[in-house]
Amino acid sequence: MNAAVETVQNSAINCRDVTKTYGEGNAAVQALRGVNLEVRAGELMMLVGPSGCGKTTLISVLAGLLERDAGECSVLGRDYRQMTVNEKTRFRGRNIGFVFQSFDLIPTLTAAENACIPLLIGGMKRKAALAKARDVLHKAAFDDRMMRALPAELSGGQQQRVAIARALVHNPKMIVCDEPTSALDSETGNKVMKLMREFALGHERVLVVVTHDARIFQFADRIAWMEDGRITKVDKPPTSGQPKVADSQQELLDHS
Amino acid sequence: MVITALKMLLGDRTKYAGLLFGITFTSFLVTFAASYFGGMMTRSFALIAENPGVDVWVMDPAVVAVDRPINLPTSALNRVRSVEGVRSAVPLTIAQADARFANGRFQSLQIIGVDDATLIGAPVVLSAGKSVVKSEATATLLHSPDAVIVDAGGTSGKLQTPSLLADQWPYGKPHLDVPMRRLRAGDELLINDIRVRVAGTSATLPRFPPRPLLYTTYSTADHILLPERRRLTFVLAVAAPGVDPRSLASRIEAATDLRARAAEDFKADTVRWMLVNSEDVGDVVTMLSIAMIVGFGVTGVLMFMFTHENLKYYAVFNAMGAPTRMLLLMICAQAILCALIGAGLGLGVCAIAGRIFTLYDFPFRMMWFALAAGGVAVMLVSVGAALFSMRPILRMQPASFLAGR
Repeated sequence: MNAAVETVQNSAINCRDVTKTYGEGNAAVQALRGVNLEVRAGELMMLVGPSGCGKTTLISVLAGLLERDAGECSVLGRDYRQMTVNEKTRFRGRNIGFVFQSFDLIPTLTAAENACIPLLIGGMKRKAALAKARDVLHKAAFDDRMMRALPAELSGGQQQRVAIARALVHNPKMIVCDEPTSALDSETGNKVMKLMREFALGHERVLVVVTHDARIFQFADRIAWMEDGRITKVDKPPTSGQPKVADSQQELLDHS
Repeated sequence: MVITALKMLLGDRTKYAGLLFGITFTSFLVTFAASYFGGMMTRSFALIAENPGVDVWVMDPAVVAVDRPINLPTSALNRVRSVEGVRSAVPLTIAQADARFANGRFQSLQIIGVDDATLIGAPVVLSAGKSVVKSEATATLLHSPDAVIVDAGGTSGKLQTPSLLADQWPYGKPHLDVPMRRLRAGDELLINDIRVRVAGTSATLPRFPPRPLLYTTYSTADHILLPERRRLTFVLAVAAPGVDPRSLASRIEAATDLRARAAEDFKADTVRWMLVNSEDVGDVVTMLSIAMIVGFGVTGVLMFMFTHENLKYYAVFNAMGAPTRMLLLMICAQAILCALIGAGLGLGVCAIAGRIFTLYDFPFRMMWFALAAGGVAVMLVSVGAALFSMRPILRMQPASFLAGR
């Protein structure tokens, strides 16, 4: 069952009846079965649901990493179907930042070098890119020693902060986070999400966070619940005093 | 991003070392084999090279290399001398003969008979202490009756005679397993049952294939060799001042119907003949092929493994906006770095190994084409390895690396 999508002004993402199927014939797996989603500029939207419900497929479609099979989808006012592969790549480079579950920092580069990669991809000179990356890392409470450290010398939380700095350094309009706190303990996860809210939101930037970590729901503006390739519900996060997750939803997460 | 790519590679020390090993190995082996081959080819025209004063070599029309002689009638010498532009022309004879050594052993030698008057083609004689005896002394030595100068010609242990007088020229059976020493002035040999006396030893350019040499005068050679209708092998002509050797060679050919080649052309003819006919060429090609295959195997597999292991990072770069072209450029940068350092190391090791080999008289000569061969081999291996490892990048799906899939 698809939830009705609230129509709002100033929407950064607007998807209707998006479908995606992997494989063919008997091996076909329908990952998205008509997803409707609208995300406003300046909003932190969480995609929540059990494993295999299509969360990652959906953000892949939203980030232009996967082609949808059917439906309409506008991201930051553009439809990926109207773009060539190279145009999509350039669009991602300019407009989208990524934070991955396993951080995916290059192990042989320092924190500052990792954080400046999107700028280098965009063609900025190395020196200027490093200077800008240091600025962003400084705002993420990194000192000079930590900026020179290799990922292996940093804690999980510090590594995720580098990943966030990397996602932000080129000032993208949208940030896609795939399970950003699943590899972190509760306290560090909260700190990372707090940093993300303080840092990343604003300037009409959109954050789409895939998670099934109920501890961070409070940081969302809205939560889209997914099940079997559909968004079943879009609502506000639980406020303090309320049960954080409805029983049926908790059951879903418990099985994820 | 090129620096980022290089840092990624340099950070993975195991694979970086493996890649360098593969390329260094290829570079070394190909350059070494080519240098060894160059050394062999250089030795193949040693007789021409050790007579730099000779401008034109005149020979039977069927002769194609310095080592494949067909003798000429004696009249050829005067016919050449009569050609305009020839300043002087002298005879040279080359033949094979078995020499009997003092202990009864037989050894095949190349006999080189040089002009009695000018001694053009005769070597510079060495004394025991390796100090050079002046050429006048060579003349004095060779003009003695039955005098010969012996030369190892790139061989070792073939010009030896018993140390003890008791083992020399024994009655009864040969004395083969007795203490030996090198031939020296005063020793005697028998060639076709004619006694010759070693007047000195020389150290001319080693030959390919290696063989002991025996230099003597043309008349002595004629005396000790078995009778032949024709003795003259080459006529060595010197051009008059201002006469180009190539045009002189053409003039001699037109006037005499003999084959005449400028020294440099005759060297090239000899090398060409060796390339076509020598079995060693096949061995060198086999060695080069093995070097290329091993080099490509090691380098290609390691480069592929490195790219494959880093595929998720390339996917991340692609997701962040790096076009495929940029990712391929990163792979190329890694391959180029390995190629440059590996080639440098390989050539360095080759130069050191070559120096050591040269000390032991192996045919090693690092010529331009050896360096070019090493460079081309490294380029082929590196390009092949890079192309091999680009495949996963081209087939990569950036979305598949989200959520660690």
